[in-house]
Amino acid sequence: MAALEVRGLTFGYDKKETILRDLSFTLAEGESVAIVGANGAGKSTLLKLLVGLLPNFDGSVAYDGLPLTEENLPAIREKAGFVFQDSDNQLFMSTVYEDIAFAPRNYGFLPEEVDRRVERAMEMTRTSHLRDKQIYKMSGGEKKLVSIATVLSMTPELLLMDEPTIALDPRNRRNLIHILNTMEQGKLIASHDLDFVLDCCGRTILMADGAIVCDGDTQDILRDQKLLEANGLELPLSLMG
Amino acid sequence: MNKTERAIYEVDQLHMLAMRDQWVNRIHPLVKFVVTLLYLLAVVSFHKYDVAGLLGMMIYPMALFMLADLSFKECLRRLRFVLPLVFFMGIFNPLFDSNRIMLNGEAYSAGVLSMITLILKGCFCIFASYGLIATTTIEELCYALRLLHVPKALVNQFLLTYRYISLFLGEVHRATQAYLLRAPKQKGIRIRAWGPFVGQMLLRSIDRAGEVYESMALRGYRGEFYLQKRPGDPAEGAAGKTRGRGKDLLYLCIWAALILLFRLFPVVVWIGGLARGIF
Ligand SMILES: Nc1ncnc2c1ncn2[C@@H]1O[C@H](COP(=O)(O)OP(=O)(O)OP(=O)(O)O)[C@@H](O)[C@H]1O
Ligand SMILES: [Mg+2]
Repeated sequence: MAALEVRGLTFGYDKKETILRDLSFTLAEGESVAIVGANGAGKSTLLKLLVGLLPNFDGSVAYDGLPLTEENLPAIREKAGFVFQDSDNQLFMSTVYEDIAFAPRNYGFLPEEVDRRVERAMEMTRTSHLRDKQIYKMSGGEKKLVSIATVLSMTPELLLMDEPTIALDPRNRRNLIHILNTMEQGKLIASHDLDFVLDCCGRTILMADGAIVCDGDTQDILRDQKLLEANGLELPLSLMG
Repeated sequence: MNKTERAIYEVDQLHMLAMRDQWVNRIHPLVKFVVTLLYLLAVVSFHKYDVAGLLGMMIYPMALFMLADLSFKECLRRLRFVLPLVFFMGIFNPLFDSNRIMLNGEAYSAGVLSMITLILKGCFCIFASYGLIATTTIEELCYALRLLHVPKALVNQFLLTYRYISLFLGEVHRATQAYLLRAPKQKGIRIRAWGPFVGQMLLRSIDRAGEVYESMALRGYRGEFYLQKRPGDPAEGAAGKTRGRGKDLLYLCIWAALILLFRLFPVVVWIGGLARGIF
């Protein structure tokens, strides 16, 4: 069974304008897929919709056969973790530990288990040294890693990320690529950073104007200069010249 | 630091005080809340001429500040806008109440006495509340309120408002900076720009508050805050269940006894008498 199955998904913030048009795709378990597309293509909208933040869509979304409905939300949000584009809005507790512990506590885990999960999430994202640091005093890159840790503390099967490399310096960016590549979870990553996509995702879905233009092997799509340019994107630096 | 940065800093400092890992901070929030409440009731219930008795109540804030290692100077600085109000409340009493009353064979102006008790009551209450806030995080306080069956909606409102203040302050800070960077010769924000400025800030912070709420919902928040465990403190329970703990009970009993003692008996007068007996 597919880890995520999307069928005929159509959505608009209001009746007049359709933002997502008839999207269909599936994700196998543990698969890493990138969603690329120009500004306003609908990437963020798609991700938010997939974690149940935008109700009233047409079509169907299912995780492991479990349809995305109001009643299934708690179970689905345990399976699918969402990392916001803006870490400042993702993190709201005062210290790193508190923020990472927020989800496990809400799901009612015992203190020892909460502790174990937080430690593990911090280890995976290499943020253990930030444990008691106050969120508002951290750099953009540190916040991004902690944001990911807040989601990993629930050991989701699928990670949805919106522009994860924004605000990262080259070293932290490499660090993030390394961390993502060592995780066995499935990933659905919206990004403009095509070099990052080349390093992290084997498959790419190219979106334009709310519709899927093509869906296939990352190398094939990102090497196709004509295709990219027709959809408002440019060749990744590492594939130029 | 400009004013908004200062405000963010202050909110944060108070929070960091409450987050410290010391034993007063670790006492169960409900116990601290109840002790504070008991103390406030006791203080407020003193008779308006009973200066001597009221002076004895100083013991609680003093002891709390010492036990929790709180700086009295810091407290005064933070409360610099509140304390003057307390003084103003009492200051006209001597004009209204011109009676004279006899105490220990000496005549005192009733108005002055009631002014002193009013000011003392105000100060003591404020210091005790500060002591509570500085040793208990807002999440813990909300948890205590929930244990006392204060309606969930009210407690959540309180908690989210508190979070919203920090968000809003952050937004104000960013917007002021952006404005001032592009208007280097101005001292503040021009009146003409206030409308769009304030409107933008509100919209932006509402937007952010919305996303923060989504982030909470995505991580399993369903309208109930659990007691926040502090780092390195495995004894504090989670998920709404706390073990009955001897230390908490002892803390409660000792303070309840002391507060009642000082409220019901003229301890200060006894001590005064003792001292007079000795010298
Ligand atoms: N809350 C909203 N209400 C109404 N329209 C919105 C809202 N959020 C986004 N849109 C619109 O939906 C469209 C898609 O936006 P979305 O944020 O999904 O694009 P994106 O692909 O993530 O772009 P970017 O690369 O800039 O992040 C845009 O035209 C945008 O104007
Ligand atoms: Mg986006």
